[in-house]
Amino acid sequence: MLSTISDSPLYKIARPESIAFFGASNKFSAMGSSILNSILTDGYENRIFPVHPKEKRVFDLEAYAHVRDLPEVPDLAYIVLPTKIVAETLKACGEKGIRRAVIVTAGFNEVGGEGAARQAEIKAIAREYGIRFTGPNCIGVVNSHIKLNATFLPSQKRTGFIGMASQSGSFITQMFDYLGTRFGQGFSTGFSLGNEADIDIADCIRYLGACPDTRAIALYIESIRRGPAFIEAARDVSLIKPIVAFYVGGSETGKKACLSHTGSLAGPDRLYDGVFKQSGIIRARSVEELFDFCYALGSCPLPAGNRAVIQTHSGGPGAAAADACGRAGIDLPALSPTTLEKLGAYVPHTASVNNPVDLTYTKNPLDFFHAIPKILLEDEGADSMLVYFLATASMIHRALAGLNLTKAEIDAQVEKIVDDQCSSVAALMTSHNKPFLGFSFLTRENPFVAALQDKGVPVLPSPERAARALGALVEYKRLREKLVRSFEKSAKLKASS
Amino acid sequence: MDPIKTAVDKGWTSLSEYASKQVLKVWDIPVTREILVQTAGEAAAAAEKIGYPVALKPCAHDLMHKSELSCIELGLSGPEAVNSAYDRIRETIKSPLEGVLVQEMIAGNRELVAGLSRDPQFGACVMLGFGGVMTEVIADTVFRAAPFDAVEALDMIRDLKYRAMLDAFRGQAPADLETLCGILTSLGRLGLERPEIAEIDINPLIIAPDGAVTAVDALMILEGGPR
Repeated sequence: MLSTISDSPLYKIARPESIAFFGASNKFSAMGSSILNSILTDGYENRIFPVHPKEKRVFDLEAYAHVRDLPEVPDLAYIVLPTKIVAETLKACGEKGIRRAVIVTAGFNEVGGEGAARQAEIKAIAREYGIRFTGPNCIGVVNSHIKLNATFLPSQKRTGFIGMASQSGSFITQMFDYLGTRFGQGFSTGFSLGNEADIDIADCIRYLGACPDTRAIALYIESIRRGPAFIEAARDVSLIKPIVAFYVGGSETGKKACLSHTGSLAGPDRLYDGVFKQSGIIRARSVEELFDFCYALGSCPLPAGNRAVIQTHSGGPGAAAADACGRAGIDLPALSPTTLEKLGAYVPHTASVNNPVDLTYTKNPLDFFHAIPKILLEDEGADSMLVYFLATASMIHRALAGLNLTKAEIDAQVEKIVDDQCSSVAALMTSHNKPFLGFSFLTRENPFVAALQDKGVPVLPSPERAARALGALVEYKRLREKLVRSFEKSAKLKASS
Repeated sequence: MDPIKTAVDKGWTSLSEYASKQVLKVWDIPVTREILVQTAGEAAAAAEKIGYPVALKPCAHDLMHKSELSCIELGLSGPEAVNSAYDRIRETIKSPLEGVLVQEMIAGNRELVAGLSRDPQFGACVMLGFGGVMTEVIADTVFRAAPFDAVEALDMIRDLKYRAMLDAFRGQAPADLETLCGILTSLGRLGLERPEIAEIDINPLIIAPDGAVTAVDALMILEGGPR
């Protein structure tokens, strides 16, 4: 375990106070220019020093002809140069005293042939000068909490709690819009790893484990290079923070022929499955699951067990959630007599007070956001709660339209009602210390969904996805408890020997 | 004498069933009681000592998948049966043998497979699955990278799809999970401490009606073999 986050080689890569930037010019179409443009557009507030042999200014920043001319030793060198001048540039950075780099440039191990020699050369230079770096052939780094987006696409400028390390080129960048429009979030910190010539995914796990802005860690994995280091890092970090991995089965055809049954059954997919389990990592089966799980795990406390109560006012979504719960290993216990008695005052005679609790409608629509979920959360037979949300601002508009108010007054009222109700749900959630997951077919364009999410109540886009995310919470709790047992056992063994 | 070192010195690429089990035994993996014999007379004496019924198998380091050779004699219940089975094996297998293996018969219809393989990134990896001759068809297998402890081994067992077969099952006692966990962790440590081993198969690993777990057949492939 890192004793402090600043011990990580990624510390100054994720939180640089100054950057020397190589490869940006006033030619806007160049990759380097795109990245520098993103850094400036997103509002990075620290010092940037473009280095360019000819340009005097780049994007309104003073440019320097050579790294040795810089007025200070920057924390980080960002290198987006033609392949053949990367090595000499890295060397010049080393001479200047720069000790961290992100090498975006491609054309190394991934192209084979001379690329491998070029990669060996930059590794040797890095070793000589004590430089730690990500890449080559990566897309960069993002840290929403210091407004650093050093990738080629603009971000949604939102902070968030999902930290990510990705072995797929520009995957992180492509997910900016996805996280923003679905969950109203950005990455707390994200690393694109490329060829992992130096810093690799195990280092990222340790960094993100120590990162105070990160509550859940997403991994996109193609191939793990240092197996034992990966397992050790993940086991340490899983004790304090959930890790979710998306791994697309490695090629079964690439492995060597084996003589034993064991060898012939040892495909990479099955092996990675086991490695994730022993590392305390939850495996996602799709990109959606990767972020759904991280979003739910970062939003909710851990459940005491696998029993949930479902609240809905429509049969279909409730039944779909119940069905999905069955497949996700979530039990739906009957409500306790106390709960039934308390609910009596709030539910119409048409309602079904089984689990799912299908309210059909509520006498007072706002009870759906407070009184009823409060009663259900208090039921000791349930460890968690799933709630279907179908509230539209237009319903409130209509209700208010009859009351002789101006449009501005109505709008203000609607906004206040949405805000109050969503705050009430969020307060319920924090005061009961049980996972609370919403699901809705509405999007963030609906003010209720956006307000719930922005106040920390996770809302997922379908009952099945909410149920599976709840399954991931139960699984993380189980895996974590297993790791705790294992660490306790080995501590006892050490103490007795 | 270390059977692995002996085999490596001789340039063999695998160990015989007998030698493989000698290694497993040292690592506290329960194996069938068995005696390697060179004559029909020795076979009958060995069978007497082990107790009927017994099985007879040809034993050599280069006999890898014996069931495919139809040369395994099972359920032999007296000295005459042992005698004639011995002769049949000697007639069928013309290649040199280390001997003929006289082995106790383990009752039980719950068959597992356990083993070790090596992965370029994760090193020694241990497998557990449901098996016998149906291993590849059922394909209910789980892996862990070594080293791991008994807590993890138990989780590995839990990951099996058909794990209910390890509980009390059709009048049979639940499997001895403590021993099974020990087998899995031992295989992992064996993989870490003996880099000469490329792969291990324990197939079948039979769960007896009383829950006892025994390695009934085993195969060890050495590094540098014809892979």
